[in-house]
Amino acid sequence: MKHELWYSVVVRDRQGKVVSRERRRARSMLKLWNQYIYVMMVFTPGGGSLVVTDIDGNSWGLGPGTGGKPFTMKSGAGVTNYGIVVGTGNTAVQIDDYALKTLIAEGAGAGQMNYLPCTVADATVSDPFCSFVVSRSIANNSGGSITVRETGIYTILERGVSPFLTGYGCIVREVLGTPQEVPNGGAMTVDYTVRVTV
Amino acid sequence: MKQVKDSIKKSEESLSYTVEVTDKEGRVLQRISAPSRCYVEQWNKLLNVQAKQTNLTIKDTSGNNQDIPPSSTCISADAGIGNINTGFRVGKGTTAVDITNYALGAPCGEGTGEDEFNHQQMQWSEPSVAGSDCSFKLWRVMSNQSGATITGIKELGCHVHMTGLFALAFRDVLPSAVYVPHGGAITVTYTIKVTV
Repeated sequence: MKHELWYSVVVRDRQGKVVSRERRRARSMLKLWNQYIYVMMVFTPGGGSLVVTDIDGNSWGLGPGTGGKPFTMKSGAGVTNYGIVVGTGNTAVQIDDYALKTLIAEGAGAGQMNYLPCTVADATVSDPFCSFVVSRSIANNSGGSITVRETGIYTILERGVSPFLTGYGCIVREVLGTPQEVPNGGAMTVDYTVRVTV
Repeated sequence: MKQVKDSIKKSEESLSYTVEVTDKEGRVLQRISAPSRCYVEQWNKLLNVQAKQTNLTIKDTSGNNQDIPPSSTCISADAGIGNINTGFRVGKGTTAVDITNYALGAPCGEGTGEDEFNHQQMQWSEPSVAGSDCSFKLWRVMSNQSGATITGIKELGCHVHMTGLFALAFRDVLPSAVYVPHGGAITVTYTIKVTV
């Protein structure tokens, strides 16, 4: 029995026609995924912390915090600090990756994309599974096509001790099996399914 | 459509357990290690609540539906001596694990009475990386001071916090029953690992 992660990527052109699709069992829950599970399982708020690496490569004293934000994936439009993110890097995934290799920034300039809200559906049970889907569409309004090679999930980091600030960390990074070219005016939708199975 | 890919590569958060029974002199009488089957639905639902930052109905360990909000203590398994609301438990239930399980089938209580154990404090090791794995361990010692051998231990599980309430996070049924002599102890260790 395991905790599995699956992803699907769908690319549409400006008319909404599907031009490419990829669906795979994901590789890779990163070190920070497990560090976060550990922190949530063993620490009480204010009761300790574990030094981890944030998305900027800096050390962060991770704890359960006091804000109830651990493991947050839901995010608003234009936010790239947490939620599903995409990039152009294609270096192989390593267990201690702490960010996407080359994040695509929010915007409509060259090489930029517009991130829509990242949504998280309620978990559902369908024996023998319990799963939920994290989803985000990212539109290309840059004026040219953009090739996406990597996806991931960033989450909010809380601290273990006061002051209870928040930071951001990468818990999943994936290099796509096939680079996905998103045409100008088109969009990419990335879905991650988090599932446990008996 | 330019390209359609549908392939499978492996990535998962895996769970495994070790059960060790010792006698009053500390000699190992029995040891069982196996991959775990079974995070149950509450585990994923608690992570879901955190991920989406809104409430969800989740069953507590009494089988009651509870409206659970995001929390800073959402899956804490920390437990002190004698605390059986959270942390690892053992029991005598034998029914196969199902995704909808919300409690052990027949959990052993805390104490020195018949079929009771003295539950020690939950312990853990920090996550460590080895090659493409990152893993950590959690364990708990439960000692038998009941005056008699406790037989028929067949199930293990972990209770976690959920905003002032408690939920079953994972449960396993052993391939064969173990017994713990008076003065002896059973130690349950779970390893949680991710691999890229």
